Amino acid sequence: MPAANVIQLRQILSERFPGLRTRAEELTTATRKHWPTGLPRLDQSLHGGFPRGALTEIVAEQRGSGGALLMIALIHQAFRENQFIAVIDGHDSLDVTRIGEDLSRLLWVRCASAEEALKAADLLLRDGNLPLVMLDLAVNPAAQFRKIPATTWYRFQRILEQTSTACVVLTPHAMISPAPVRITLRSRLSLQALETDPEDLLRELKLEISETRRSELREPLENSA
Amino acid sequence: MFAAVFIPNFSLQAVLRSDPGLRSRAIALVDPGLPKPVIVQLTPTARSFGVAEGLTASQAMARCGELMIKARSLPQEQTATDVLWQTAYAFSPRIEATAPGVCTMELKGLNLSFNQDSIGPWTANILQALASFHLDAQIGLAITPELALFAARTANPMLAIQNPSEFISGLPVAALEPPPDTLEILQRWGIQTIGALVALGPDRVAERLGPAVRELFNRIATTSARPLKLIDPPAEFIEQMDFENEIETIEPLLFVLRRFVEQLTRRLESIYLVVAEFQLRLGLASGVNYERSFKIPAPTGNIETLFRMLHTHLETLRTDSPIVSLRLGARPSLPETHQFGLFETALRDPNQFAETLVRLMALCGPDRVGTPQPEATHRPDAFRMKVGVHALACPPSTLKREHQQPGPPLRRFRPAIAAHVEFRNHRPALLRSPAFTGAIAEARGPFLSSGDWWDTGRWAREEWDVQTSDGSLFRIYRATEGCFVEGVYD
Repeated sequence: MPAANVIQLRQILSERFPGLRTRAEELTTATRKHWPTGLPRLDQSLHGGFPRGALTEIVAEQRGSGGALLMIALIHQAFRENQFIAVIDGHDSLDVTRIGEDLSRLLWVRCASAEEALKAADLLLRDGNLPLVMLDLAVNPAAQFRKIPATTWYRFQRILEQTSTACVVLTPHAMISPAPVRITLRSRLSLQALETDPEDLLRELKLEISETRRSELREPLENSA
Repeated sequence: MFAAVFIPNFSLQAVLRSDPGLRSRAIALVDPGLPKPVIVQLTPTARSFGVAEGLTASQAMARCGELMIKARSLPQEQTATDVLWQTAYAFSPRIEATAPGVCTMELKGLNLSFNQDSIGPWTANILQALASFHLDAQIGLAITPELALFAARTANPMLAIQNPSEFISGLPVAALEPPPDTLEILQRWGIQTIGALVALGPDRVAERLGPAVRELFNRIATTSARPLKLIDPPAEFIEQMDFENEIETIEPLLFVLRRFVEQLTRRLESIYLVVAEFQLRLGLASGVNYERSFKIPAPTGNIETLFRMLHTHLETLRTDSPIVSLRLGARPSLPETHQFGLFETALRDPNQFAETLVRLMALCGPDRVGTPQPEATHRPDAFRMKVGVHALACPPSTLKREHQQPGPPLRRFRPAIAAHVEFRNHRPALLRSPAFTGAIAEARGPFLSSGDWWDTGRWAREEWDVQTSDGSLFRIYRATEGCFVEGVYD
């Protein structure tokens, strides 16, 4: 039975630092095997977050479906957890001035093409130092994807299996067969969204989550927060 | 009690350090600095073929067809000297640079005696340390520095003189290195050994040959020891080599470089230090030097890690002329011990990550990989890139939530896409650009912004957020250069 002052200390810590784990048992198997996104809807549906050592595909089929919004939310979550993170920007489109002032834990790789981005991803996944690597190909021209052999994603999956890195790939259409998790963004931002708080926008995002390996298609999570 | 470490054929050994596989072959060293370049030192294999000091290269080649002629290298001798001093300093704090290839150590306070059990392991460690740097040494121990040097020259590989008088008397008088005319007179007198010279007595010899000859007797005095001229070993750790042939491909360069990394790492390891930085200098045939410094993110003594870092860089290096010399310096540091804070996480292998960054920079360009730092200005998309692993290895950021601007972020077009915008009633109505062509359904704006009016880089723009007929949200702006699509909200 912990002493009263220990309980009090834990309470103060959890109030001041909401994401902090104050007890060893809180480091569950799910946390070790998943990278928590900090978004309750996603974490609940994905049993704790993005799977570590595996690919996660986020499909943003339309412009304005919230891909960049989600990506910046994940960057913020990594910062809150004091983790290093890499963003491989396939079309050099990330607006870094929107992320925050202190970006010292963000490695930004600005690529000129999808092919270059894949080579950069290969290097970073083999490195295995970072807990989360995001590969953003959402706005790359369709012609660049035709040059990507399907085996690339299987190779990435094999590399990832040796590490504890979670790799999130944003694509304009479903293309990553070995990804155990695929999240499809179904939202469409309106002009009124420009005055809405990003947290509210995130809550309103329409997500369709499928876990292909479990052969279990989940119901679309439409504004279910 | 003193110990002298003597490296026979020092100039030759210094040259062969960079290629120790040649030590068992017939090699002769020529000093190009002499008026008549003759062989000055040679390996035992070369001697067994009848090659001897004083022969010209062609004479020596006539006796041994397999003979390899090497040129004396003063930079490599300096490196070997540094290695000798640094190794000696690891075993005694009082050392003297007695001569090229000779280092004398004072053993006072080291709790050593002439007993074999006491000095045997100690000298074996010195010999082993020098052997790891590809230097074969001999060690002599005696009660004076001069006697220790005499002992070192005759040692195989270690000799401790417990009875100095007996040892000296049997040595040839030439071992004292008297002036040539003095040696000739002594030999005409029939004085062959130091024992015979001592028997004459210093006064009688000085009467006939002059007072300078007393110096010879001082060298073999056993009653008093001269004080050593103490030195501190250099704090620099450098390996260098001038290539005999110009190097045009990476393989031979990497072969030598790996040896250098191994040697430098071992040298530092012997004094319990690790590599914090490498300074690489490639001498090019055009006379220009290529220099580059490699800071090791987590100072280490791991040869593979250090070599891989250099290898990765050299793979992408192109020089305009062949390489004629190589110099690698190491800045030492204490092994890093770091205790992380409660909320701090770190890279598992910073050195591996630094190497990955170098590869990424080679792939994408050095200005396109790094940590972005927003600039303190209202100019849109103003940031600069901070590169290197140290940009990431900074103190942990605070846990507070960043203040977020309303609305979704922009996916920027870099550079902004030139567009034709048709305005109706001072509001954008039609957009024609590679990003979208069609009617604008709704628009917010204008948002006016400007800055740097005090400077040549002044800017002013009129921004609009527009929703096109297909539902996309764009940010467009009008400036003096025309209209542009800056990005799409996503």
